[in-house]
Amino acid sequence: MTLILLLLIPACAGLLCLVTRSRESWERLNLLAFAALVPLALKIAADVLAQGTVSALDGFLRADALSALVIILTTFIALACAIYSVGYFRADARAKKITEAQLRRYYALTPLFVAVMLLVPLADNLGVMWVAIESGTLSSVLLVAFYNQKTSIEAAWKYIIIGSIGISLALFGTIFTYYSAVNVLGAETQHGMNWSVLAGIADKFDPKAMRLAFILVLLGYGTKAGLAPMHTWKPDAYSEAPVPTAALLGTAFVNCAVYGIARFDVLAVKCLGPEFSGRLLVWFGVASILVAAPFILTQRNFRRILAYSSIDHAGIMVAAIGFGGKLGALGAALHMVFHGVTKPLMFFCAGGVQQRFATPYFRRVRGVIHILPWTGGFFLMATLAVTGTPPFSIFQSEFITLSAALATGHSWLAFLFVAGAMTIFAGFLVHMVKMNLGEPRSDRVIGSTVQRFNECPWKLGAMMMVAAAVVALAFWLPQPLYQLVQQAAQIIGGAQ
Amino acid sequence: MNPPASPEIGSQLITLMAALMLVVQLLLAVQSMLFTSIRLYAIQSLFLAGIAGVVAFSGHAGHVYVVATLTVAGKVIFLPWLLNRQLRRIQTAQDVEPLLNPTATMIVCGGLTLLAYLVARPFTSLERLGNNVLAVAITLVLTGFFLMFNRRKAISQVLALLTVENGVMLAAVALTTYGMPLVVEFGVFFDVLVAVMVLGILIYRIRETFASMDTGKLNQLKE
Repeated sequence: MTLILLLLIPACAGLLCLVTRSRESWERLNLLAFAALVPLALKIAADVLAQGTVSALDGFLRADALSALVIILTTFIALACAIYSVGYFRADARAKKITEAQLRRYYALTPLFVAVMLLVPLADNLGVMWVAIESGTLSSVLLVAFYNQKTSIEAAWKYIIIGSIGISLALFGTIFTYYSAVNVLGAETQHGMNWSVLAGIADKFDPKAMRLAFILVLLGYGTKAGLAPMHTWKPDAYSEAPVPTAALLGTAFVNCAVYGIARFDVLAVKCLGPEFSGRLLVWFGVASILVAAPFILTQRNFRRILAYSSIDHAGIMVAAIGFGGKLGALGAALHMVFHGVTKPLMFFCAGGVQQRFATPYFRRVRGVIHILPWTGGFFLMATLAVTGTPPFSIFQSEFITLSAALATGHSWLAFLFVAGAMTIFAGFLVHMVKMNLGEPRSDRVIGSTVQRFNECPWKLGAMMMVAAAVVALAFWLPQPLYQLVQQAAQIIGGAQ
Repeated sequence: MNPPASPEIGSQLITLMAALMLVVQLLLAVQSMLFTSIRLYAIQSLFLAGIAGVVAFSGHAGHVYVVATLTVAGKVIFLPWLLNRQLRRIQTAQDVEPLLNPTATMIVCGGLTLLAYLVARPFTSLERLGNNVLAVAITLVLTGFFLMFNRRKAISQVLALLTVENGVMLAAVALTTYGMPLVVEFGVFFDVLVAVMVLGILIYRIRETFASMDTGKLNQLKE
C-alpha cells in the first residue's frame, strides 16, 4: 500500500495543480505532496530492512534495498527542490520573467516528473522501467523549455532528440534481453520481463544476444545519465532549465539512469561473467571523468560547470560498478547517496547567485560572500564537498572506488581517475574562490561599505536543509542507512 | 504434394511484410514532400500491424491482436492525422535541402542495410518467424538515425524517430514469439503518443521564436 501511495500522491498533486487557480495553492500542493513522500520512503526502507523485499499489485511494484535507497534520495531531493522553488519562482515573478500559466505548468509537471522517477526503482518489469525513464524525459522536456527563450527551446530540442535516440536503443536492448531469455522462459510471458525472474535464470541466457543487449542498454541509459560521449545535451539542458528542475535532473534523474544500468549489469554479469560488462562500464566511466575535466577547468559559466560535474559523477558511479567486487559495488552505492545529497546545494547556490546578479558568467560576479553571506559560504562548502575534499563524504566514496580499481588490478585506470579528479578539483577551486571571495565589483559598493542583500527565507531554508545533511553525512552515517547501502551494494554486486 | 502448413505461410507473410517495411523506409529516405512522408509512415505502420496480426494468428496469442489494433489506431490513423494537422498549422509542405542528395542517401542506406544484415546474422538461429526480420528491424533503426541527421526540418526528424520506433517494435513483435507483456506494450504506445505531442509543442515554439523549422538554426548554445 505504501508503494502505491508513493506514486499516487505526487501524481494526484500534479493533476490537482491543473485545476486549481492561485499560486499559493500550487505551492502548497507541491510542498504538502513532497513532504508526505519522505516519511513514506522511510517506511518503505524500514520494511525492506525488516523483510528483504516489499511488493504490491501482484509483484508489479517491487522494492528491495537498492530501490529503497534510490527512493529515499529522490524524495529528499524533491522536497528540497519544492521548498527552494517557492522562493525561486516568487523572485522570477517579481522580476516579471514568468507568467501565471508558466508557473502552473511548472507546478503541475514537477510532481508528475517525480512520480515517474519514483516508478523507475519500483517497477520490477524492465519494460515498465523503460517506460518510466522515457516518461521522465517527456515530463521534463517542457520544464527545460520553461523560459521560452531561443536558447531554452534549443536546449529542449537537443535534450529530447538525443534522449529519444538513446532511449530507443535502450528499448531495443531491453527487448534483446527478453529475447535472450525466451528459450529459458517458455510461455511465461506475464512475468517474463520482471527483473526478479530474469536475475534467477540469467546464467542460462543466450550469451550472444545478452552481449548485444547490454551494449544497447548501456548506450541508452548512458545517454540519460550523461556518460561521455553521449553527454552533449547536458550542459545546455542544465543551464537553460529553471534551477529546481536542473537540480532534479542532475541528481535524482541521473540516479534513475544509473539504477537502470546497475540492474542490467547484474543480468550481464550472471550470464557472461564480470569481464565483459565490467570493462565497458569502466571505460565509459573513466572517459566521462576525463571529458568533464578540461571543460570544468576552462569553464566560464557557473550553470554549465554543474552539468560537467554531473557528467563526472555519473562517470564515477558507473566506473565503480564496473570495477566490481564488494568494494566497487559499495563505492557505487555510497557515491549515489553522497552525490545525491550534496549536489542540490550546488544548484541552489548557483541559482541564488544567478538571480541576484542576473548573469551566469563567472567573470561578472565577484565577492558573493560579501553580498550574500549565506549563499557564498554554502557555495564554497558545497564546492569542497562536491570535489571530494575530506572531511566531506564524497571523499569516502571516491576513495573506496579508487581502492576497488587498485584491488582489481586497474592501476592505469586508477591513475587516470585520480588525474581527472585532481583536475576537476583545481578547476572548481579556481573559479569558485574568485567568484565567492574576490573583491565585489565596484557597482555593488556604496561608499566604503558593501551593499548587502537579504536572503530569501525559502531559498535559504532549502539550502540549510541540504547543507545540514551534507555536514551530518561527513561525520556520521546513521546505522540503518549504512545497512541499506550495504544491502544495495550486495544487489549491485550480484547477490539476490 | 502436401499443402503448405499454416506456420509456413505465416512465416512467408511476415518476411514479405518486413521486406515491404524496408522498401517504404527507403522511399521515405529520398522523399522530400512532408505530406507524402507522413503517408509513407502510415503505410509502414500498417505493415507492422499486419505482422503483429499474423504473429497473433499463428501463435494463438490473443493479446498480440491487441497490439495490432493499437498499432492501427495509433500509428496508422491517429499519429499521421496529428502530424498532418501540425503541418497545416505551420504551413510548410516541403523539407529544406537535406545534407546529402538522393543518390548519396540511397548509397548510405544500402550500406546501413548491409551492416544491419551482418549484425543480425549471429542471431538468425534464434528467429522463430520469418527470415531476416531482425535484419530489417536493425536496418530501420540505423537508417532512421541516419535520416535524423540528414534531415534538418524538425518535423521530418520526428518522422525519422518514429520509423526508428517502428523498427524496435518490429523486433519486439517478431522475435519474442508471443510479444512483450501487454502492460509494456501499452506503456510504450502511450509514451510514443506523448512524445509526438511534446515534440509538436516544441516544433510550434521553434516556429514561433525562430520563424523557421530549420533545426540548423538552433546553434546558439556553445561552450
